[in-house]
Amino acid sequence: MALLEIKNLYASVAGKEILKGITLKLQPGEVHAIMGPNGTGKSTLSNVIAGRDGYEVTKGEVLLDGEDVLAMAADERARAGIFLAFQYPVEIPGVTTSAFLKTALNAKRRQEGKPEIDAMEFLKLVKAKTAQLGMPYDMIKRALNVGFSGGEKKRAEVLQMTMLEPRVAILDETDSGLDIDALRVVSEGVNSLRSPDRAFLVITHYQRLLDYIVPDHVHVLAHGRIVASGGKELALELEAEGYAKYLNAAA
Amino acid sequence: MAVTRETAAAVKEVEQYKYGFVTDIESDKAPKGLNEDIIRFISAKKNEPEWMLEYRLKAYRYWLTLSDEEPAWAKLHFPKINYQDSYYYAAPKREKLASLDEVDPKLLETYKKLGIPLLEQQMLAGVAVDAVFDSVSVATTYKKKLEEMGVIFSPISEAVHKHPELVKKYLGSVVPYSDNFYATLNAAVFTDGSFVYIPKGLRCPMELSTYFRINEKNTGQFERTLIIADEGSYVSYLEGCTAPQRDENQLHAAVVELIALDDAEIKYSTVQNWYPGDADGKGGIFNFVTKRGACRGKNSKIMWTQVETGSAITWKYPSCILQGDNSVGEFYSVAITNNRQQADTGTKMIHLGKGTRSKIISKGISAGHADNTYRGLVRIGAKADQARNYTQCDSLLIGDKCGAHTVPYIETRNPTAQTEHEATTSKIGDDQLFYCMQRGMTQEEAVSLIVNGFCKEVLQTLPMEFAVEAQKLVGISLEGSVG
Amino acid sequence: MKPSLITEHSFGEAYAKRLGVAPWRGNLPGPKVEEWRFTPLRSLAKIVFAPADDVDVDAVPRTVPVIPGAARLVLVNGAYRKELSDANLGKGVEFSQGKVAAKEGSSLIALNAAYAPESLALHVTGAAKKIIHIISIGAAGAAPTALHPRITVTAEAGAAVTLVESHVGLPGETYFSNPVASITVGEGATVRRYVSVDEDSEAFHLATSLVKVAGGGTYEAFHLGLGGALTRQEVRIALTGENASVRLNGAYALSGTSHHDFTTVMDHVMPSCASSQVFKGVVDGESHGVYQGRIHVARDAQKTDARQVHKALFLSRGPQIDCKPELEIYADDVQCAHGAATGEIDPNHMFYLEARGIDPEPARALLVEGFLADAVNEMSDEVVRDIFGVAIGTWLKRRAVGSHA
Repeated sequence: MALLEIKNLYASVAGKEILKGITLKLQPGEVHAIMGPNGTGKSTLSNVIAGRDGYEVTKGEVLLDGEDVLAMAADERARAGIFLAFQYPVEIPGVTTSAFLKTALNAKRRQEGKPEIDAMEFLKLVKAKTAQLGMPYDMIKRALNVGFSGGEKKRAEVLQMTMLEPRVAILDETDSGLDIDALRVVSEGVNSLRSPDRAFLVITHYQRLLDYIVPDHVHVLAHGRIVASGGKELALELEAEGYAKYLNAAA
Repeated sequence: MAVTRETAAAVKEVEQYKYGFVTDIESDKAPKGLNEDIIRFISAKKNEPEWMLEYRLKAYRYWLTLSDEEPAWAKLHFPKINYQDSYYYAAPKREKLASLDEVDPKLLETYKKLGIPLLEQQMLAGVAVDAVFDSVSVATTYKKKLEEMGVIFSPISEAVHKHPELVKKYLGSVVPYSDNFYATLNAAVFTDGSFVYIPKGLRCPMELSTYFRINEKNTGQFERTLIIADEGSYVSYLEGCTAPQRDENQLHAAVVELIALDDAEIKYSTVQNWYPGDADGKGGIFNFVTKRGACRGKNSKIMWTQVETGSAITWKYPSCILQGDNSVGEFYSVAITNNRQQADTGTKMIHLGKGTRSKIISKGISAGHADNTYRGLVRIGAKADQARNYTQCDSLLIGDKCGAHTVPYIETRNPTAQTEHEATTSKIGDDQLFYCMQRGMTQEEAVSLIVNGFCKEVLQTLPMEFAVEAQKLVGISLEGSVG
Repeated sequence: MKPSLITEHSFGEAYAKRLGVAPWRGNLPGPKVEEWRFTPLRSLAKIVFAPADDVDVDAVPRTVPVIPGAARLVLVNGAYRKELSDANLGKGVEFSQGKVAAKEGSSLIALNAAYAPESLALHVTGAAKKIIHIISIGAAGAAPTALHPRITVTAEAGAAVTLVESHVGLPGETYFSNPVASITVGEGATVRRYVSVDEDSEAFHLATSLVKVAGGGTYEAFHLGLGGALTRQEVRIALTGENASVRLNGAYALSGTSHHDFTTVMDHVMPSCASSQVFKGVVDGESHGVYQGRIHVARDAQKTDARQVHKALFLSRGPQIDCKPELEIYADDVQCAHGAATGEIDPNHMFYLEARGIDPEPARALLVEGFLADAVNEMSDEVVRDIFGVAIGTWLKRRAVGSHA
């Protein structure tokens, strides 16, 4: 069984149809990249999978381990193992990154029938993970994403992913607004999480990120449909030739 | 003593002949209603000296002239209170329940979430408990230690007898009996409360708390607290407990007076979680409290922190009179109203001395059909050279059926003073909620987390163990507010 | 608690009899009325005022600025004086005089309605080119005099007009001006209104403006308060249609024992409206500055953006400032904020200017003008902005002379 399966998915926003029949299978251990120009539905796809309000699924299915994801509330999806690394992480004033992480981690542990994490154990874990990601430990004392630079925000997303160990991670334009050093750090974090029982869906506009996070499969999204699929070489081809031929073909 | 016994006897006579009701002085209750005899009864019952009775009567007679002066300026709506329809001494004790099975399951649910031990749950809910309550014995141990250091920490009724000179000197010196309708009523009929005296130069090594006196409680309706910090001393006082009490008293009118002499500091923290009434606004406590501190000495400091989550009506303005030069007043407040609750709360900072400073941080959260008002006064007197005030009032609205209001008064009479006031209004963003839920939190967890972040500046001024429970309480009081 | 009213005043039977009209049966608000707590009217109530006699005023006082190209409508003691006016309003505006209908409202509006001679009504139908300058002159005869000017402005949908009001008086016996302005801004219309109150130092001025702004309409106003014994400019604005926009600003500069009160009510009734308020004041001598501003956001007024700030500067020991900025919010998806501050001139700023060789008095004047500029610069009409700037400069010179005396 596929880890995440998207079957003929149609979705609209404010009455306007954005996704027009997406079908995609992510096997455990695989990294899939979704590429495409702006406005083709890339972010809609990630928001629909994560369960954001305002997106109406009109047709199709999303299954995680064969379970109906669309029937779950956003938090249930998260606890079931779907993680979305946001393109624009939200600022939450007054809430320290550490308190946020702990609350999220305990929500997951509760789901797994485990007791709340002990304070010392938690700090040890965060210390280890921040060190692993080359992040200053002090960052977790700051209010979540408040006043973070673009790079810090994306690193904080990867830190959360590392702590929560999801089954499926969706990276929504994680490379946007990152300089080359930050891109490397973030990618290394993601790569360290690659494992035989986890899948990634990397959504990006540019091929650049895929130099660091090398995908198994690349899909081109245009006008709400997947118009081409291939191996990692497809990304290079897109980089060289642009999206024009797919856009025209799909229109 | 002889005097009071005579008074008691006189009261008895008067009662029997003049008003035709017989009250056994040994009994635990006075009849409903309020008159001079009831006040004499309360005083006699407490074996009070003549001066205390006189004080009460003076207040009562003054209160009678205030019938048109019941405050109406607050943004609060409630039916007119019939003061003759209340018990003023030992209101009939609520019936003891046989077991926790008889307690409202919602209340028990809350206790569970707060992590209150079973025995304590029973105490709070009013179940008859035979076992010795842990913190009572703990309290006794502490009390001895405190006494050795010269700290007086006792019920005010006891202090009237043991330390009349202190009570006489300071009672009513910050909140005079004529202060306002509710305070005047309290002065006439107060039942009991805490008395604290910290001797010169002592830094009281432990937090003093009414929690220790939980067995002596049942004085809730008209509590009276008096705290005196003598020169160079420090005390931190905690009021209330974080668990909601099953309490059927409708009206609470407490008075708290704080006095800080030269270089003394008082930190007064409250977590108020009285019964707020049900979702439709039925029942709940009317909480009319007068709290005021006088920074009488130079360099003295009074800091109020309050977390107000309970009561149907909250009318409360913990204030500081900054008399001493370079004295400091601080007010940190979280007020949460949900369902049909109404709160009109804030502070007064009266700057009289030179170099006085005050800081006001108020966080109001309104949900359901509730109304939440910050009302505050900053007054800079003509002589308060170089006085400073900073005020920040933030309101958070949850849902579109509630109201959040800010009514600051800033009166400045001194050119060298600087005052600064800022207020904002915001809501919990949908994107914030989604972000938290995408990380696996339930909606209620997410709301609690975000609101706690909003209140952080205030909550972090609470003593540690109080802060943890207050944080949980913030979440609990907002349950069901989103969605 | 019952609001206390001042029942002893001179606007009853005797006053009405002299005008031959039905008497006003109301009372003046007392200090226990919340909105009047900072502005007591006891001194006003003690004076026996009479309706204006026929006072001979043959020219507009020189202190009133001349606005190039503007039309002039002159009121003396509340009555329109054709011979002093230049009523060529240009295209898009018509002018008429009419009876004032007695209406509900505050006691001062009712007092105005009872005794106002005739209202000056402007009907704006298009984009008016000319600025319309309304000049109200208070001129007491032998006895203290009361005047009740009434102005009505109706801007039709899409129309636009710029108004300037100058409220001045002639020295002599004291007078009490009680003007009421009703302004209706139609859909997509724009009304700009710049009001200067510089009454005689003995005079009372209690003005009420009632403004309604329809959907997509814009109301921009600036109120300046410079003189008078007791002045209050009360402005009540309702934003009654979506996307209405209001900018209400003001400044006051007070000396002697002047009392000036800005009271504003910004009522957001409908969604997606914006309002901003910037008020600044300087106080000298033993003067008293008041700002009370309430922002009310109704349950349905989602997406409201409402802001308000008041800052005051002390120039000496003796004045007092009372400020009450108030938010009353019933909708959750809104941006509302207010700020307030008081203080004196920053000694560092003074030192900086003095170090550049500027004498203390001009340095102070420069800093005060700079302080008030935040509010003054909100005026979008540059010509009027300059004229008001000159008025403030004159006040500062007057003050400097006074302080040396």
